[in-house]
Amino acid sequence: MDMITSQTISSIYSEYFEIIDSFFGAIKHYLGKEEDSHINLGSHIARYPLISDLILDAIGDLDEVIGKFWSENAKKVFDFIKTQNTLKCIYSGDISPLILENFVKKSALYVDSIIIADPIYNLTIFQKQIILDNKYYLNKLVRHVFNVWKLKDLVLANLKENIIFLLPINIQLVNQKDREDLLGKANNKFANYINKITGQTLSDPKDSLAFLEDFQKPEDLFKQIIEPTLLPRQLRDLNSLSEFLVSFRDTGKYSPLKDNSIGWNFGLYVQSQFIRVQEHRFFCEKLIAEPIYDYELPWFFFNYEMGCGGIDEAIINSLQKEKFEWISKVPIYALKILREENKLEYMRNTLRKGVTDLKAKKDSDLLKVSEQIERNFQEAFKQQKSEIVSLEKEVANIVKKEIPITAGGFLLGFVPILGDIISFLTAGRDIKNLLVQRSKNKKEIAVKKNDFINLLVQSHDNK
Amino acid sequence: MTINNINMNIDFFGDGMRIFLAYISRQYKKNPDYKPHPIIRAFECALEGINKCKNGNCTMGVSHEGTTTNICDPYIVVLQKKSNGIEVKEIRNVKVDKQLPLDIMVIIFRLQIHLDKFEGDTVNPQQMADALNSVIPGNKFYALGDRWKEARDEFKKQLAEGKIYLTEDSDIIEEINRIRNDTPWEDYSNRLRAFIGTSIKAGVVTITSPKDSKIEKYKVFDYATEFMIGKTADYFKPFKKDC
Repeated sequence: MDMITSQTISSIYSEYFEIIDSFFGAIKHYLGKEEDSHINLGSHIARYPLISDLILDAIGDLDEVIGKFWSENAKKVFDFIKTQNTLKCIYSGDISPLILENFVKKSALYVDSIIIADPIYNLTIFQKQIILDNKYYLNKLVRHVFNVWKLKDLVLANLKENIIFLLPINIQLVNQKDREDLLGKANNKFANYINKITGQTLSDPKDSLAFLEDFQKPEDLFKQIIEPTLLPRQLRDLNSLSEFLVSFRDTGKYSPLKDNSIGWNFGLYVQSQFIRVQEHRFFCEKLIAEPIYDYELPWFFFNYEMGCGGIDEAIINSLQKEKFEWISKVPIYALKILREENKLEYMRNTLRKGVTDLKAKKDSDLLKVSEQIERNFQEAFKQQKSEIVSLEKEVANIVKKEIPITAGGFLLGFVPILGDIISFLTAGRDIKNLLVQRSKNKKEIAVKKNDFINLLVQSHDNK
Repeated sequence: MTINNINMNIDFFGDGMRIFLAYISRQYKKNPDYKPHPIIRAFECALEGINKCKNGNCTMGVSHEGTTTNICDPYIVVLQKKSNGIEVKEIRNVKVDKQLPLDIMVIIFRLQIHLDKFEGDTVNPQQMADALNSVIPGNKFYALGDRWKEARDEFKKQLAEGKIYLTEDSDIIEEINRIRNDTPWEDYSNRLRAFIGTSIKAGVVTITSPKDSKIEKYKVFDYATEFMIGKTADYFKPFKKDC
């Protein structure tokens, strides 16, 4: 068997981006510099019915092409990732994070590699069949395609560790025995969860759904919940639960899933989350990676089911919290600088300060861990700033004070601070040393100002 | 300049065309003998030259079916380069000297993609109806298939009741008198099949060819064009412009 090298992986991903380019290259020029310029592009195109129909038809063979591509390459990438003895994480939650670029900026401060389920594969192979509205599909596809496209340079960057891996990840790809096992587990856990929050004693997930189906209004459903603390924080009161269910119903109208009642929809959502957790756990185990989410709902269900795995998992997921949104202002090239400067380990140690395994495991909402991380950032920034200030002071001293005095001594044939007669040669060397030191310090300031930590400091201060 | 973070100078028409042409070039890669509809080939030719053009200048592409001695379906496409994209100035069938509207051209392009899903140069009637219904709004095409006996009986009934009036066409009356219950559908004339086909489905175009018959793909294009801009279009008013 051929050895799978970084070059092999790089050429696989080059081919992947060539595929994207061959299908969507004609519209990539619409992407602006803004991080979210890919979000509305598909819906803009969808406003032109005749043209969007043509585009939909013309990219109709993307499933075939991407399916063939992964059938030839998935195993190689999978095996390569498995052999990487690094800190990896696998994303789960949506098809891809809303703004992948920002998600990667935050995650790559701590992990070596982020593994993302290929959104093109999942959308064209699995979701296309279940999305009823073609325009909605086009909108989604364009959004996720360009979400990935924007990180092309980072995916192809020649670094010691790949920052991003794309891979086909889907429960449908799991072998039948394991899949049945996963689904069985998920369904049992789902029924058990419904029993816990409602006080029922149902053992079959179908019975759980049938029970929930009776509730037509959010308030009827909410009345049945005897343990609201077991719900995700965002769904613990009637208003937020109602809002969530309305938006869930809205997205559901594009799929053929039957929309029986509010209670049924709630059940369906919870069941899907338990299945997703099992799928995610399975792939994390296979690739020896940590789970990562970009919003709290899926994290809640993973945490409810599996608990927090420890410091790394807690930190990775805490970094996704809104309070760290300022990290997304860091330019994407800064991630390459971080790796080139070999500062990842330093960042990791900085973020880990004060976070213990016990603290992480107990903190299901990640509030304490995220507060600690915030303090750690502040500390690192303070130190960075003070280092720059101290270097700047040193330069200023050399310029303002020491050089004139030394130069004066040199001219007079004296070095006043020593009070002895010193040869011109010695005094001259002294000036030269000071100039060398000043230039060295200036260079160090320039490096420090352009290094990754300072780019972080700037993003933080400009938030 | 951006609107909702999307770069301006929106030319989705031109981009849609380019995405479509990228599809065509993938088909050429898969099959070097791939031969799309003459409009598409003419469009490709015209578009090839457009990049070298100055704003305001036009390019023209010409293509046709047929042999060295027999030309059919000759089309010309004229494009004009504009500062914000490309404008299609004209798509003309030179043989009948008829201009094709832009929206019809897009439908022809889409029909090409749908027909490409079926291997070879021919399709069966059901595939033809599916392809046409996929691209022409209104689900207007119906493949009669196995329902021909039902249609025949209904036709006979309506004829006996005087609900169908046949002009004094001795050939067709003679054929009707000649057919028996065991006469296979394949032995009916195209003309009679067409008469019979209309009796069980109103408001649609019934494709009455025997279900295993092979219809050349280029005929499907003719059929679509005739339906959309030919004489039958006046009866069906099938195509509503929405772009």
